[in-house]
Amino acid sequence: MAKSSDLIQGTLDLLILKTVSLEPVHGWAIAKRIQQVSNEVLQVQQGSLYPALHRLEQQGWITAATKPTESGRIAKFYSLTREGKKQLALELGQWERLSQAIGLVVRGV
Amino acid sequence: MLWISKLQMRLKTLFRRDQVEGELSGEVAFHLAEQKAEYMAAGMSEADATAAARRAFGPVAALEEECRDQRRTRWLEDFLQDIRFALRSFQKSPSFTIVAVLTLALGIGANTAFFSAAYGILFRPLPYPSPERLVDLNDGIGGVGPVTSLRDMTREVDYAGYLAGNDVNFQDGGAEASRARTALATWNLARVLGVGPALGRWFAASEERVESPRVAVLSDRMWRERFSADPDVLGRRVRLNEREFEVVGVMPAGFAFPTPDTDLWVPVRVDPRNIGETWGGGNLFAIGRLRTGGGFEAARVELKPAIDRVRGMFPWRMPDLWGASATPVPYAEALSKDVKPKVLALSAASLLLLLIACGNVGNLLLARAVRREREFAMREALGARVGRLVRQLLTENLVLVTLGGAAGLFAAELVLEALPLMLPKDTPRLQELRPDLLLVTAAALSMLGTVVLFSIAPLFRLWRMRRECLMGKAVTASRRTSGLSLALIGVELALATTLLIGAALMGRTLWQLGQVDSGIHAAGVVSARISVGPSRCPKGCEALLAELQRTLINEPGVRSVTWSNLAPLDRELSAFASDIQDHPKAATEPAFMISQTSVSPGYFEALGVRLFRGRLLGDADGAGAVKVMVITESTAKRFWPAEPALGKRMRPMAGGEWLTVVGVVSDVAQYALTGFPQWIDGAAYVPLAQSMPSGSARLTMFVSSAQPVEGRLAGLVRARFPDVVVSRVASLEQIRGESLTDQRSTAWLLELLAGLGLALGVAGVYGVISHRASQRTREIGIRMAMGASAARVVGMVLKETVWVSVLGAVMGMAAAYGLSRFLGSLLFGITTHDTVAFVVCPLVLLVAAVVAAAIPAMRASRTDAAMTLRGD
Repeated sequence: MAKSSDLIQGTLDLLILKTVSLEPVHGWAIAKRIQQVSNEVLQVQQGSLYPALHRLEQQGWITAATKPTESGRIAKFYSLTREGKKQLALELGQWERLSQAIGLVVRGV
Repeated sequence: MLWISKLQMRLKTLFRRDQVEGELSGEVAFHLAEQKAEYMAAGMSEADATAAARRAFGPVAALEEECRDQRRTRWLEDFLQDIRFALRSFQKSPSFTIVAVLTLALGIGANTAFFSAAYGILFRPLPYPSPERLVDLNDGIGGVGPVTSLRDMTREVDYAGYLAGNDVNFQDGGAEASRARTALATWNLARVLGVGPALGRWFAASEERVESPRVAVLSDRMWRERFSADPDVLGRRVRLNEREFEVVGVMPAGFAFPTPDTDLWVPVRVDPRNIGETWGGGNLFAIGRLRTGGGFEAARVELKPAIDRVRGMFPWRMPDLWGASATPVPYAEALSKDVKPKVLALSAASLLLLLIACGNVGNLLLARAVRREREFAMREALGARVGRLVRQLLTENLVLVTLGGAAGLFAAELVLEALPLMLPKDTPRLQELRPDLLLVTAAALSMLGTVVLFSIAPLFRLWRMRRECLMGKAVTASRRTSGLSLALIGVELALATTLLIGAALMGRTLWQLGQVDSGIHAAGVVSARISVGPSRCPKGCEALLAELQRTLINEPGVRSVTWSNLAPLDRELSAFASDIQDHPKAATEPAFMISQTSVSPGYFEALGVRLFRGRLLGDADGAGAVKVMVITESTAKRFWPAEPALGKRMRPMAGGEWLTVVGVVSDVAQYALTGFPQWIDGAAYVPLAQSMPSGSARLTMFVSSAQPVEGRLAGLVRARFPDVVVSRVASLEQIRGESLTDQRSTAWLLELLAGLGLALGVAGVYGVISHRASQRTREIGIRMAMGASAARVVGMVLKETVWVSVLGAVMGMAAAYGLSRFLGSLLFGITTHDTVAFVVCPLVLLVAAVVAAAIPAMRASRTDAAMTLRGD
């Protein structure tokens, strides 16, 4: 299982912001979705998601609210703030530029 | 708003800690439960699913801690936690905490109090606009004529005149008189000081003229106390020495020029025809304000020729030296000149006390660090970072110093409340004293520095030897830290010795002053100030005095009633520039200044002043008789060492008849026990009948009585003459005691500081030696098992103390030897290197230190060798 440091921190932030941007969602679901969407390629140690979530919350990019899930348990649901939307757009742009650049380098060889 | 939601979040983290923590653990629990449910749905057993969920999640405690680290309030939480921890650890060692806080409070408190006093008295800007521009003419050129003439001549400086402390009989309507204190002022004084009245107006220039109506300005206190703060007081007529004055203004509260006890200001009256008053009196001082940008240098340049012109304006020829040394200096400097040595000495002493306190706290912390070595080694082994431990220690220190500082501030308040009661009343600006926040902070910071130094330093030793500590080896004081504590007590003892010697010098001064023969040898003499208005004196003055004498002499026990214009030992004198037979002086030389006191017949007999040659003054020396005088022995010796003084003559230079010396009496401490000021060349007594005061009179009455009369005196006089005011009733012994207030207060305060310093030093010795002895219990046990006697053990423990105290005492003596010259101007009858003080103080210190060390030494010698050796 990959350790959190294997994922570049910025990448984890980007994944979280992207996941949260669709609908309010709790921590376990975020972990699941990142695994599923990436076809199990990105293996995040589940626990290491939480410090990242708390950091993003402290920065004001995501906000949390407690409410019951479908199974009736109380969970903390995260959603994107307005600041968070701006940040997501910014990070997405950066990511595309970076991956394009890497793609060019890799194919060019 | 982003910052609002952030702020809400931080506040929630800080103040709803339980909720935030609950949310965190709830979140983790929810995650684990969901994951477990998923695994169980996939067919795992419950136990396997629980374990697998935990594995997938990772280390829960560490990740939770990582989440907490994300909170931006972490440092504050840690800080608060450290404070809680510090308080808990102080609670566990109450004796350390109490001793440390008290020591800190003592050091900070004394230092803050005396430095605040020094700042308040010497350095705080005066309560006038641009106070640095105020000018004092230090070597006075006093007098109504000289000062007002100078005022009209100068451009660089606006000079005003003032005279403090004229006691007058005050009447508001009725016949009953009370005392009030007036100050004379020129009309431009308010302008020079830059302060205007709160109500009404100040004087106009025209009101200095002798023919203009009399006006007065009230002090705020007088207005409140005697006029109930009546806003309609303006225009009210009051009587001062039986003359009517119109109240034209009230000064603002806090205006205390020239003295805080001034009740009224009245304009100076310039009467060009009254030459004696205008030019001969010398009773007006000059204060000025720089007018231009030229500063004090320009003021100096301008003054010289102006003084020369004023000298030429005198109706008689003045010596060329008159005013020659007058120099404009900053007023604030001149105001505090006399008290400066004393205030600085007390501040220096309090600084030494602070240093001693620092040493003690340093030692306490060193000992505490040794005791806590195992705790810190353990915490480090359990994963505490070095920075975190240091931060924890810093927080502890901060808490300690804050507690000590708060207690110190409280102590400083108390001392500053008490100081005005102890110090002489004429100390300038005594009423304005308050603890200065900056100084409390400075003292507390110096303490914090010490505390940090001595609690962090031992940590480095800990780093080197943490292994041994952890292995459970006996923790013993290393040579380094214990050497440091011995050096600290050495320095403390040196400082204490210096303090003791300073205090002893002042104490010896006080003792010497107590031994001075005042020349007055009489018991049961009570003196009282009598002031009467101009309708009683000078015309009818003799009749009044005779009538008062008759009233009092019939009282039981009263032996005699005599009079003088001055009370002895009261720092008052009247002196005249005099021509003296056989001692001609050129006009360029300074004139002889002779103190002249007027006394009634029987005065010398009543006060027990001894007659050496000739005769005393008697009833025959009346107003019409030949003018005579009695001089003191040292005056006779000074002017006529080889021939008899009887029959020689003197006269005041301002004019008048020659006075013939008819008697020589023993020296009298007329001015003070320390003698006359330097500029007085001799002392003489003249018959009161031949020198009756002009205008309103203030006389001192001496009642010699076999029974106490102090309580009845004022009532007896008032019953007979309601308009005669009696004040300052005191026995001559009391006056003598009060005349030493200045030296006594300095001596007591220094002795208090030195006593505290000695106590702290000795406590330091006791603490360090006890700690060292307890650290050496094993060694002592072994020695005793090998046959060392109890005496040997005591000697071994004491040896260090003796060494350290001898070294400390020697260093302290050396420091005192160098510093004592700063006390020089305060000493009397001893030199600054007084042998008694320099021998006794170090001995006292040595004995005290050895006694303090003897207690732990004796305890060590009773060590049970077998018990100690089995102990480990």
